Amino acid sequence: MSHSTVPRSRTEADSTAKTPVASGGATGSSRKRRPGKLSLRHRFRRDRVLLLMTLPAVALVLLFNYVPILGNVVAFQDYDPYISDNGVVSMLHSPWVGLENFQRIFEDSSFWSAVQNTLVLFFLQLLLFFPIPILLALLINSVVRPRVRAVAQAVLYLPHFFSWVLVISVFQQLLGGAGLLSQLLREHGYDGLDIMTDPNTFKFLVTAQSVWKDAGWGIIVFLAALAAVSPDLYEAAAMDGANRWRRMWHVTLPALRPVIALLLVLRVGDALTVGFEQILLQRDAVGPGAAEVLDTFVWWNGVRNQDFGYAAAAGLVKGVISIGLVLAANKVAHLMGEQGVYKK
Amino acid sequence: MSVVIDKPGRFAAPPRPVWEEPPSKVGLASKGLVLGIACLAILFPLWIVVVTSLSSRKTIDEAGGLVMVPKGITFVAYQELLSGGQVTRAAIISVLVTAVGTAFSMTVSVLCAYGLSRSGSLGHRWILMVLLATMFFSAGLIPTYLLVQTLGLTDSYLALILPSAISVFNILVLRGFFMGISSELTDSARIDGAGDFRILWQIVMPLSRAVIAVITLFYAVGYWSAWFNASLYLNDQDMMPLQNVMIQLVQKQEAPVGLGQAIKTGQLSGLAVQMAVMVMALLPVAVLSPFVQRHFKKGMLTGAVKG
Amino acid sequence: MPLLAACGDSDSGSRDGTTSSKDAKKILPAYVASNVVTPDIPAKNGSAVGFTGKLDLATLKTSVPKKLGKGGKVTVMSPFWGSPPKSDNAYYKAMNDLIGVDVSWQNQDGNTYEQKLGAVLASSDVPDVVVVPGWNMNGKIPTAIISKFADLGPYLSGDAVKEYPNLAAIPTEAWQRSIFGGKLRGLPMPSPWAPSIVPLYRRDIFEKEGYEIPKSCDEFMALAKEITNAKAKRWACLDMKWTAWQAFGVFSGSEKPLWWDMVDGKLVNRIETEQYLEAIEWSRKLFEAGVVHPDSKMGKNAPDPGPKFAAGEFLIYPNNISQWWGRTAEQATQNPEFKIWGMDVWGHDGGNPTIYAEEPAGIFAFVNKKASESVIRDVLAVANVTAAPYGTKEYMMTNYGVEGTHYTVKDGVPTKTDQGNIDVMNAYVMIASPAATLAHPDFPEVAKAQVEWEQRMGAFTKKSAFWGMQITEPNRWTNLANDFEQLEDDIVRGRKKISDMQQAVSDWKSKGGDKLRDWYKKILDENGSAAS
Repeated sequence: MSHSTVPRSRTEADSTAKTPVASGGATGSSRKRRPGKLSLRHRFRRDRVLLLMTLPAVALVLLFNYVPILGNVVAFQDYDPYISDNGVVSMLHSPWVGLENFQRIFEDSSFWSAVQNTLVLFFLQLLLFFPIPILLALLINSVVRPRVRAVAQAVLYLPHFFSWVLVISVFQQLLGGAGLLSQLLREHGYDGLDIMTDPNTFKFLVTAQSVWKDAGWGIIVFLAALAAVSPDLYEAAAMDGANRWRRMWHVTLPALRPVIALLLVLRVGDALTVGFEQILLQRDAVGPGAAEVLDTFVWWNGVRNQDFGYAAAAGLVKGVISIGLVLAANKVAHLMGEQGVYKK
Repeated sequence: MSVVIDKPGRFAAPPRPVWEEPPSKVGLASKGLVLGIACLAILFPLWIVVVTSLSSRKTIDEAGGLVMVPKGITFVAYQELLSGGQVTRAAIISVLVTAVGTAFSMTVSVLCAYGLSRSGSLGHRWILMVLLATMFFSAGLIPTYLLVQTLGLTDSYLALILPSAISVFNILVLRGFFMGISSELTDSARIDGAGDFRILWQIVMPLSRAVIAVITLFYAVGYWSAWFNASLYLNDQDMMPLQNVMIQLVQKQEAPVGLGQAIKTGQLSGLAVQMAVMVMALLPVAVLSPFVQRHFKKGMLTGAVKG
Repeated sequence: MPLLAACGDSDSGSRDGTTSSKDAKKILPAYVASNVVTPDIPAKNGSAVGFTGKLDLATLKTSVPKKLGKGGKVTVMSPFWGSPPKSDNAYYKAMNDLIGVDVSWQNQDGNTYEQKLGAVLASSDVPDVVVVPGWNMNGKIPTAIISKFADLGPYLSGDAVKEYPNLAAIPTEAWQRSIFGGKLRGLPMPSPWAPSIVPLYRRDIFEKEGYEIPKSCDEFMALAKEITNAKAKRWACLDMKWTAWQAFGVFSGSEKPLWWDMVDGKLVNRIETEQYLEAIEWSRKLFEAGVVHPDSKMGKNAPDPGPKFAAGEFLIYPNNISQWWGRTAEQATQNPEFKIWGMDVWGHDGGNPTIYAEEPAGIFAFVNKKASESVIRDVLAVANVTAAPYGTKEYMMTNYGVEGTHYTVKDGVPTKTDQGNIDVMNAYVMIASPAATLAHPDFPEVAKAQVEWEQRMGAFTKKSAFWGMQITEPNRWTNLANDFEQLEDDIVRGRKKISDMQQAVSDWKSKGGDKLRDWYKKILDENGSAAS
């Protein structure tokens, strides 16, 4: 669910899950019993409390992540939410229109403009956002004094925990038409500048906001990777006469490479999801021409225009492409991960 | 699995390895400069927000807007906002939703994580698959919206909690941590006749304080920052949490309910009121997260072992 | 649905179309003019009636002699512009006491009302009363109105309305617009059909600086450039698009049926006309020339213009005629210099403008279909009080609140207190209003100028082919023209080009615009036009 409010990023989740350096925890293999030796009934009796414990979470996931999948049938309907008070009853009574909604989508120029905006934003973030956490991590890693490190990390992590509403409000106060920058410009006799409502620079603005909010948080994974590099490697390199830069080139970067590759690939799998809440909050300020992405397109047509069938169809198109990208990216990640391990 | 890292002297610099050349002055200076700029880019806007919220109308008018250098401190904006109006109510709502939601999410997540933490237990692979799969697809905004509506959750605070109650990622982190706990401890408790609930409560939880602190923070921040579900599912303006009120006040620059006249007539600075609302939204997060910060790396990494 | 004009359309089972005037006669409430008070300026050219005298509390009439409310609880959802008061304020309490009904308000942000409206109507707990402005009737909202709201005919049709004398005095043309899907479902807020959007300006600054009121678009541009001095934080105006429609003679954009009119024997939509493109182009030039205040770039997200207008950051902005008085009252005590006035609309080339008429009722209150009879009676009791004419105790209470708390009277001039300015806002008037009235005893000269402005502009006003009809478009075409407003705004702000508009219009035609034209033509052939 792209609009989930719990802090969770697919990228973070997966990278840490699969990163070689992330295997700090024991897997508890010593306790592994051989399944199959016990009868199903016996195992059920043994584990029923455990199963019971998972029940609330599983129920929630089934209800809010799986059941709604069925709701996508409205994509094939001229869904009328007002036939009854109940969504399911309305679904049963709405007329079927086959693929008409999809046909309309592919003929809709605003859909294609949303696709274009989504992709441009994705590449922009890849180019401008992605490298920053790596550089910051290298920098922090080279700082020896723990106090400096701790303070710097505390400050850099902080914006990650701010809401988008707050981040955008802060930006508005600094860069908006009535903001600090305009205020200073006017005081010095220049025209004010309103970056917050300029559609031409909107995509850079969105990227800048992402950097401000999350670049600091992004360094965690890289710091972990760096921490896992054995000091012996550095020492050996130093003995061989490698200076600071050569050590970074020959020891540090190779250690980061698998993480970088993985994150990159996973980000590609997530390409169609670019900052839904962040963009929705600013959509009206710059107009949909510059700000509409696929997720906001779905929101606008569904929630705002009540054209649920149409919006669901657009959501479905996005969902299907996304799953394809995720699977492909996973495949590539898998291949690359193996290569990385064996080539070393 | 030691949790207490807070030993005295943890800020003392470790000795530099003998093979490492001493840092050059230029290198040190440029490092400091870059880090300083990065930190300043984060702290400077916050400074302005806080200072402006504490400034009198006169100071704000003199500065022509946002205030960078404080000239006297006044809590007038906060007094007005907290004297029991729209913003007070929204803040209370946000606190309650965050508290109840976080408690619920943590209960469900810890139970589930523990339930999946013993390898070889019946069905845990299947359940993991069901959970993991959700990280790769989404049912979509419209069907989810229709579901919440069909369940009759609109105009109910449950709509702010249930649909986003669990994060599979958080469960995986907890699970990974639980799995790292020495099995000798749990096994001996089991031989003593302790049930799983008791083992979880008396042995596993106390050993996992660090990761539980981290995950609690994640959930709490999630609830505290959420606005979209409220904008979607709540129709009653009186039920709106703080973030949604902030959208109204700061982004649309409307005056808070009941304070419109005071701002129009100039007794109160609209800008200070906006800033005060922003401070109210950022304060809990800014105060709490550094306390948990030292657990982040550990919690994140030891936890995330693939199931 | 026998009452619907059977348009013979293939939309089986749909409830689109309009109600023929013959069928409407059977369900319209009887009209019984109110004789409680006589206006100082009677209505003319589609204007409101005007009252310019002093107020004498002692002579206020009573139009509702006996409380009609039965003490029930009624929830009302309505759009609200500005900051809503606290829900337990003294004004709401006094109104509820007067009516005998416990009205509880769910005020929604008026600027984004349509987002909430769709969601609320689709849910199972629709409030007892929902207020829907005509301009929010897009998408599937019109069908929702027909399927979700009660038929008030049994309580109001014909002589039944006489039980509620103030409702009986609402003009028939407003009731005519309240017929949805062949049934009387709405309680109307009558409005003048004379234009409602006035180019408002700072008369005090104009007089001080010696600026002349422009008489053509070129003159306006020249004046705007003279006024603007960005370094001194002064711009000429906000987005002037709404005035441009009037100056260039573009068909009204307020409700979809008004977008159409007959031109040389052919039904034409406003977006197909030359005037439309010219008006957009002129508005764009204003932005390009840098004479528009930067806040306007934000479109719908722009902050309330009030404070910056008062601060003189810009001198002209087009808005509803109600702001003429609203801003006057708001600034009166703080800012004695401040004087807001309305300028006459000019023809773009310096001649007389051609303005298209607004609907005689634009905002409606509907009652939930599931409401019991006692709830419906209570709602009508509320409406009967809020529709009381000027000069009655009920009108004073509805529009000014409680004497002493919300307003004070000195020399026949009621002045709202701070409390009054917070509490007494646009809530109760939404449920039903008397025939359009302009009466501001605190600023009688404003009321007079407003009515005179309406009458002068009303003389240039033309009713288009579907004026006065309540038409429900077929579902599949209701969203067809939704994006035009955004596109206009984008072009005006330089984000899109005029050629994008031409492309959008040709898309519109091929996606259903031409079929929609045939559909409207059929209605016209069967019902005739109001413009005759």
